Amino acid sequence: MSIPILKLGDRLIASIQSTLTDEDLTRLKDDLANQVGDLRSRGVIVDVTAADVVDSFTIRTLLDIAQVSKLRGADTVIVGLRPEVAFAMVQLGLRLDGVDTGLDLEEGLAILDARSHGVANGR
Amino acid sequence: MAISAAQTDGHHAPDLTSSEQDALKDLWRVYDGSYEEIGEESERALAADPEFGPLIQSMPREQMQAQSQRSRDLLSRAIVGGDWEPYLSDLREQGAGYAQMGISFTSWYRAVGVIRHLLMDRLTAAYPEPERLVAVVAAMDKWFDNSMGIIGDTYLNTKEQTILRQQEAIRELSTPVLTLMDGLLLLPVVGVIDSHRARQMTDQLLQAIHKHRAKVVVIDITGVAAMDTMVANHLVQAVDAARLLGASTIVSGLSADVAQTVVRIGVDLSRLNTVGDLQGGVSDAMRLVGFQVQRVGQHNDPDGPEARIS
Repeated sequence: MSIPILKLGDRLIASIQSTLTDEDLTRLKDDLANQVGDLRSRGVIVDVTAADVVDSFTIRTLLDIAQVSKLRGADTVIVGLRPEVAFAMVQLGLRLDGVDTGLDLEEGLAILDARSHGVANGR
Repeated sequence: MAISAAQTDGHHAPDLTSSEQDALKDLWRVYDGSYEEIGEESERALAADPEFGPLIQSMPREQMQAQSQRSRDLLSRAIVGGDWEPYLSDLREQGAGYAQMGISFTSWYRAVGVIRHLLMDRLTAAYPEPERLVAVVAAMDKWFDNSMGIIGDTYLNTKEQTILRQQEAIRELSTPVLTLMDGLLLLPVVGVIDSHRARQMTDQLLQAIHKHRAKVVVIDITGVAAMDTMVANHLVQAVDAARLLGASTIVSGLSADVAQTVVRIGVDLSRLNTVGDLQGGVSDAMRLVGFQVQRVGQHNDPDGPEARIS
């Protein structure tokens, strides 16, 4: 199942709607890497609200997405981690170091807004 | 609740041989013959009892008689008819009742002792031949021991359930998550943090962040008596989990002792945002959320008006 990537202004939004296989995730990573460049996006939001299970491969892919996007000039925010998923993650020692996280899509957009604001102000 | 169900179901009627059953029937003939008399005499004997006295006096006459009649019927059914279950379930209710009323187990033994004594007098008179008397008394002991065991078990179960409920209540009460202002939560931690409590604390914190859409959380550990690697680890986990939901965390209330301990045992808390006291934690947190508190009427703000809008 391929994950649709929505374009909203200079942002890309990918919403994970079900539990994904490793291939799905890898495809998402490749798609995002291409589209960030093609569409000259400045921000990427990955919404994982619908994900019941977040395993180490998912985390690594999300970290890869963030790093690749950064290299191509876009900031990444992961949004929609549910409380129980977050709890399970820290218990397993899985962390999302160096990536912004937000409660939901709205927060994610706000975080990206704050970022681009900072860039515009020369900060 | 599950504990009590499993344990009370294990109760059985006294294990009696057929000759013991006959002996118990002989006993019942004597007991039944002077049931009211024994009831009244034991009542008089217990009237001065510090625990049973007030109970007997407070109970209306009719209720007492009804209860006594009920026990008589149940006993008759059990000893004569061999149908013990109704009698046993009545004992279980009694045990739970005494636990709830706070009557001690010792005084319940005293009450049974009085009845045993009264019964003994009558049995001695009714069965002068020693062999018969010994058999009857042995059956009585078995019956009483069994009954006392059942009452004791339910008594303990009831108390244990009370303790469990209280533990649950303490746990619930001990990890409140408070809203200080829009997007700012306070989690005061008091007492000892064990794994179970840390789990519950983190869980409640995450639910609260989700519900209130909090951006900043202050975890105040002023009330945490001792810090060790485990507690520190739990704290780091709570902070990491909160960050995954997009909330930043400030840990406040690290006393001098706690700070020294952390350094001595070599726990790395550098990933945490720590502040000495709650006041500092809250004012840092408010700055992060974008509020600034100012004394009313203080017009000459040294930082100028712009500083207020952050």
